[in-house]
Amino acid sequence: MTAMAMLQERLDELKRNIESGAPPYNMSHEALEKMHRATAELKASGIENRALKVGDRAPEFRLFNQDHVEVASADLLRQGPLAVSFFRGHW
Amino acid sequence: MELEALQQVESEIRGLGARLVVITPEIERYTRALHRKLNLTFDILTDLHLKVAEQFGLVFTLPDYLRDLYKSFGSTLDRFNDEPEYRLPVPARYIIDSGGIIRSADVNADYTIRPEPSETVSRLGALKGGPTSSGGLAAN
Repeated sequence: MTAMAMLQERLDELKRNIESGAPPYNMSHEALEKMHRATAELKASGIENRALKVGDRAPEFRLFNQDHVEVASADLLRQGPLAVSFFRGHW
Repeated sequence: MELEALQQVESEIRGLGARLVVITPEIERYTRALHRKLNLTFDILTDLHLKVAEQFGLVFTLPDYLRDLYKSFGSTLDRFNDEPEYRLPVPARYIIDSGGIIRSADVNADYTIRPEPSETVSRLGALKGGPTSSGGLAAN
């Protein structure tokens, strides 16, 4: 493996730090409880099963990139397979 | 953190003849800043009002109590995403083959869990290498 730890290991460490309630996050017990509740409710909503799955046809898309250039999935797929990661944002 | 980790494997993905894009509801002003800050070589695409995420079945609305909590931290989705209804995509990573069919799907309602970029690379490699050994690529 590379010098960089696995992504999930680093995410788990961040989670431990946040959930410890210690600085710099100083997360209250109440806030953590709300976050856990929201995640549990979202899991229970069945969204993971409603999302598109292996074998489904992927929707085509045309979106603007960070430099306001339009990117079409069809153009990318003409060159080969495509990995698409949905990211909620850095806020 | 996920974007930096994806950047680490971006050249490997290109080496396989594949491509990577990230889709986010964030408006371009913020994706541009993030893209420069992290020196990314893949595109971040703005999916305004989650039109594409909706087609993938990934959109949910933040419950009121969480919306208020995030607001108290100073995180406001109306500013970053132009999204007054506080809808978000569930984190997900898909691999789509050149015929437009989904060959790998990692969707997790728990936003603290993300698929490993190295795993995405090996699945892309497997896709490239062999035609269908059906089921072999299935995630979840």
